[in-house]
Amino acid sequence: MRNVDFFYDSFRALKNISVPLNDKRVTAFIGPSGCGKSTLLRILNRIYELYPGQRATGEVLVDGENILAAGLDLNLLRAKIGMVFQKPTPFPMSIYDNIAFGIRLYEHPRRSELDDRVESALRRAALWDEVKDKLRQSGLSLSGGQQQRLCIARAVAVEPEILLLDEPASALDPLSTQRIEELIAELKSDYCIAIVTHNMQQAARSSDYTAFMYLGELIEFDETERIFTHPAQKQTEDYITGRFG
Amino acid sequence: MASEHIIKSYDEELRKLSNTITEMGGLAESQLATAIDAVIKRDSELAASVVEGDAKVDQLQRDLDNLAIRLLALRQPMARDLREIFAALKIASDLERICDYAANVAKRAIALNQTPPVRPVYALPRMAHLAELLVKDVIDAYVAHDAEKSYAVWTRDAELDEMYSSLFRELLTYMMEDPRNISACTHLLFMAKNIERIGDHATNIAEDVYYLVHGTPLTEARPKGDQSNLEIVNPARRAE
Repeated sequence: MRNVDFFYDSFRALKNISVPLNDKRVTAFIGPSGCGKSTLLRILNRIYELYPGQRATGEVLVDGENILAAGLDLNLLRAKIGMVFQKPTPFPMSIYDNIAFGIRLYEHPRRSELDDRVESALRRAALWDEVKDKLRQSGLSLSGGQQQRLCIARAVAVEPEILLLDEPASALDPLSTQRIEELIAELKSDYCIAIVTHNMQQAARSSDYTAFMYLGELIEFDETERIFTHPAQKQTEDYITGRFG
Repeated sequence: MASEHIIKSYDEELRKLSNTITEMGGLAESQLATAIDAVIKRDSELAASVVEGDAKVDQLQRDLDNLAIRLLALRQPMARDLREIFAALKIASDLERICDYAANVAKRAIALNQTPPVRPVYALPRMAHLAELLVKDVIDAYVAHDAEKSYAVWTRDAELDEMYSSLFRELLTYMMEDPRNISACTHLLFMAKNIERIGDHATNIAEDVYYLVHGTPLTEARPKGDQSNLEIVNPARRAE
C-alpha cells in the first residue's frame, strides 16, 4: 500500500498508510479498537465499495498493478484476494456447495474436476477428514471452528493469491484457534496472508511481520520478532506491554 | 522512568523481582567485604559467619526463579518486560556465584589462619575492594537502568585482571623463595582467583543490564588484563 487514505464520508479514518505485504509471509495488524486495522483490510479487496460514502485514495499495488484504479473487474479482484471474517459465515447450503459455489461463479468445471477442487480446498483447510462423509449436510451443522475452516476452504477454492483474515479466531475456543493458526502456518507457503487481530499473542505466534496502528496511522512496521522483543517506538512498546491508557 | 501497567499487580511483581536483585547485590558486597576483613584480622569466627550467610543468598535466588517463572507463565511478558525478567534471572545467577566465591574466600581464610602470616596478604584487600566497587556499581546501574554506567563497569574489570596477574607473579616468587610459604601462598592464590572471578561475573551482569536497556547485546570484545594463563616465573631471573 502506498500513501493510502480512507474516508468514511468526511472522517479520515486512515492517514497516509504505506506498508508492504510480503508474499508467502503472514503480516499481522495490531492496535487498539478503532485504530483502522479492519478498515485497512477492507481496502485490499475493495469490499468497502459496497457501502456509500466510503472511499480510498492512494495506491494499492498487487504485482505492480494498482487495484484501486477505476475500471478494474471487482469480481476477479475478489477471487484473487480472498477474505475470511470474524464470525464464520457459511452459506446456507451443503458443505459441498459452499465450496463449489465460488468455483462455479468464475469457472465451468466438469463434475469430476469440481469434486477434486472441493476435496482439495477442504484438505487445504484441514477439514476434509472431518466432513468427507457428510458433504451433503448443511454447512451450518458444523461447529464454530469447523465453520471457520469451511470459510477458509471456500476462500482458497477459487485459487486466490492473497488471503485477508479479519480476526479469524476471535469467536473460537482455544483449541480451534490453534488449529486455525496451524492452518495459517501451512497456507503461507502458497499465499500472501494479512491478518487483523486484537490478540497480541496470536500475532506474535503466527506472523512474520507485524504492523502496529493507532488512530488511523501506521506507527511501526517490522519483523514480528523485533516488534515483540524490542520495538523502536515507545507507543508500540506501551501497547504490547499493557501500558496503554 | 517507564509508565505503569494498566494491571497494577504486574508492576508490583516486577518491582519485587528488582528488589530481590538489589537485596542479593547488597549481600554480595557485604559477604565479600566481611570475608576480606576476616582474612586481614585472621578472624576465623568472622569467616565462618560468611560461610553460613551464603545459604540466604541461595534461598533468594530460588525465590527469584519462582517469581520469574510465575511471571512468564501468567503474564506473557513482551519487549521490555520480557527482557527485564530474563535479565533478572541471569543477574541473580551471577550474584549467587559471586556470593559463592566470597564464601570460598572465607573458607580459605580459616585455613590460612593455621599458618604464619605472609606478606602478599596485603595486596588482597586492594583487589577485593575494587571487586566490591564493581559489584556495587553494576547493581546501581541495574536499578537505574543505566547502560552507560554498566558499560563503564564492563571495561574496569581489566584493572582487576591486571592486579590478579601481578599478585600471581608475586605469590610464585614467594613460593620459590621459601617452600614453607607454599601452603599460605596457595590459599592466597585461590582467594585471588576467586576475587578475579567475581569481577568476571560483574561484567556478565553489566552485559545483562546493557541488553535490558538497549535490547541488543554488548558484542565488543572485552578488554582482558589477566595474563596469568601465560605466566611463568623463572628462578634464574629472580636471582638478579
